[in-house]
Amino acid sequence: MLFRQNLRVLALALPCLAVLTAEHMGVARADALPEGRSVAENVNARDDGQYVSRQLVMQLIDSGGSTRERTTRSFRTYDGEDKKIAIYFEQPRNVRDTAFLTFDYAEAGEQDDQWLYLPALRKVRRISGSDRGDYFMGTDFTYDDMKLDGKIAIGDYAFQSVGRDTADGIPCLLLEATPQTDSVAQELGYSRTVSCIDEEIWIARRTEYWDTQGNRLKTLHVRDIAQVSGIWTPQLLVMENHKTGHKTVFRISDVVYKDEMDRDVFSQAAIRRGL
Amino acid sequence: MTFDPWSFLDRQGLTVNLFCRVGPHKSCESSGWTGLRTLLHIRLVLLVSGLILMPLFAAQAQTAGQDEEDEVEIVYTLRASTEGALEIDNLDGQKLETELLPGVEVAFDEGIRFTAKGRFRYDAFDELEPGSPSQDTTSPESRRLRFNSNSEAELREFFFEVPTDFAYFVVGKQQTVWGQSDGLKVLDVVNPQDFREFILDDFEDSRIPLWTVKAEIPLGDVLAELVWIPDTTYNDIPEPDAAYAFTSPSFVPVPVPGTRFVLDDPDRPDNPISDSDIGLRLSAFVDGWDLSFNYLYAYDDTEIPFQNRDSFPTVVIEPEFRRTHLIGGTFSNAFGDFVVRGEAALSTNRYFITDNPNDDDGIEESPNFNYVLGLDWYGMRDTLISGQLFQDIIVDNTEGVTRDRTETTITLLARRSFLNDRLALEMQWLQGLNIGDGLVRPKVQYDFTDSVTVWGGADVFYGGARGLFGQFDGESRLVLGVALTL
Repeated sequence: MLFRQNLRVLALALPCLAVLTAEHMGVARADALPEGRSVAENVNARDDGQYVSRQLVMQLIDSGGSTRERTTRSFRTYDGEDKKIAIYFEQPRNVRDTAFLTFDYAEAGEQDDQWLYLPALRKVRRISGSDRGDYFMGTDFTYDDMKLDGKIAIGDYAFQSVGRDTADGIPCLLLEATPQTDSVAQELGYSRTVSCIDEEIWIARRTEYWDTQGNRLKTLHVRDIAQVSGIWTPQLLVMENHKTGHKTVFRISDVVYKDEMDRDVFSQAAIRRGL
Repeated sequence: MTFDPWSFLDRQGLTVNLFCRVGPHKSCESSGWTGLRTLLHIRLVLLVSGLILMPLFAAQAQTAGQDEEDEVEIVYTLRASTEGALEIDNLDGQKLETELLPGVEVAFDEGIRFTAKGRFRYDAFDELEPGSPSQDTTSPESRRLRFNSNSEAELREFFFEVPTDFAYFVVGKQQTVWGQSDGLKVLDVVNPQDFREFILDDFEDSRIPLWTVKAEIPLGDVLAELVWIPDTTYNDIPEPDAAYAFTSPSFVPVPVPGTRFVLDDPDRPDNPISDSDIGLRLSAFVDGWDLSFNYLYAYDDTEIPFQNRDSFPTVVIEPEFRRTHLIGGTFSNAFGDFVVRGEAALSTNRYFITDNPNDDDGIEESPNFNYVLGLDWYGMRDTLISGQLFQDIIVDNTEGVTRDRTETTITLLARRSFLNDRLALEMQWLQGLNIGDGLVRPKVQYDFTDSVTVWGGADVFYGGARGLFGQFDGESRLVLGVALTL
């Protein structure tokens, strides 16, 4: 009887030991890939600060090389599990004082609240939170890309680790995400994404997107990742749209992490007044 | 053929120039001219001080404050644009207008900010405001500086923003915008409107800024906005010879045969204290709903053409302004691809033209209720489709009023952007359901660069001359413009 119990313990322990040993030795094998959802959860668990303020310069480059540039000040904070994002446009003059505000709710099924202040109308306009797949202010980032800010909408996708690769010479884990339903795919504008996750810092260094017809759509490169106040912070994002040849470059600087806001920037009154 | 009731005055041999209005009280050549010129000079000094002296002062403050690490940020802005319009019927030029809008924004320490913007305008055709308009519904402090019949300058904004622990103050010449609707106004009536291009001009440009003291006070989850407006300026209605002069009997009295009209000066309230307007807006975000309650105690911005029949058959039109209490509110919320929004307003005292021959003054009084319900659809990429229902209801059962008791207008707006927001196509349609008149406005806009934008489009009126839109049936136009923003 005792012999049988020992055999049973050994049978359970050996596979675990094998996995632990393989990971400890850095052996990369397809059957040793971590479970996809846990990878996504690790990405979302990465510390990105309670409150962050940063300058975001957006370069919009069309296929002919013509470039338009927007300078913004963007803010993000957490209210419990919910997220609030405000983006204030400072340059050029023709979009100056335009501002975007979103309340991104963590609860599944609860639609985000979004507002846009348009200086030409002098009104804060309520906009639909379901336009997640629309492109944000002429960039190649969708509203959803902007709100996620490097995180992953776990409820929208099924995940699978599909291999290993490198991004800009750095080893990373390939995480495939497939929308849970066709309607989610239509809403997001993606039928599949594959992200190359740097497991050291849990940041996607590269993400490929396919449109709802299965065609290759966009590639996002995340570069110049540095620690600011002890938090890993991407400072260069390049999104290439393979269908249009258009490219958007985000340069992030003047990053300030804080525990508390020193002023209200996440209200309709604030986006109407401007910074 | 459009009937112009004002032409009747000319047929009677009365030269009606609303700049020098016919009437026993005033003349533009009166001794008050010297005082008016003085006021014009005061406004010019304000404009210069706003656009030039304040930044210099700010720069000095910046230099002086460097040791204390004070920061003063100065931003200059300039928009130069030219827009031309050709009337579709005869290809006559309606306007060829060049505008310069210089501005400066100064951000001081502690969140205090100063903003000044001016507007210089030159119209080669002079069809929109022929000659020199009287501006007699505008307070002297807010009048435009007219150089000649083609060109003018105006101080559009001149205000300080001062945040304090208990309120956010905005003091100076500014625009106060209420409401949720597009194209037509229900609650956006705090500032009067310049109707030189009817409602075709952007509201940003046609809204007349007023000298205002505004305080935004947070009360928990509610934001209270208090407004005090000592500036006694009202709607600027085009004069009879202007392209967009009102001719519908709903808006101007029509003389009956055997009578003649003489137009007196409007009796503009002019006491900045006793004639000032006050307003309150309470706004909150509650369970996904954006809600507001609005109250305004103000003179209605539209002059009321009271008729004095003491010298019958000569009838003297004596325009006046009357106060009203306006109580209203707004709401909006998003449901999936849709945003629902609305606003409503009840005005306690409004005045309507009547053709009842037994009426003493040609005007009937009644409360007035108007509202708009809007539905925006975002279900297609980079596209907005928006529909609205407006109703304007005379509450009391008045007799002989020249407009329908309930007037209904529906609007449809479709807008789609292409090429990463470089190109935008837009179609706006406003349809009056009572008379069947309307306005269609297709537009295409292209951003060559961040600084250079071109646009083209049309403003097509149709329907009977009695209608709000149909009265401008002959003014339909093609529009082409270019703007440089620095």
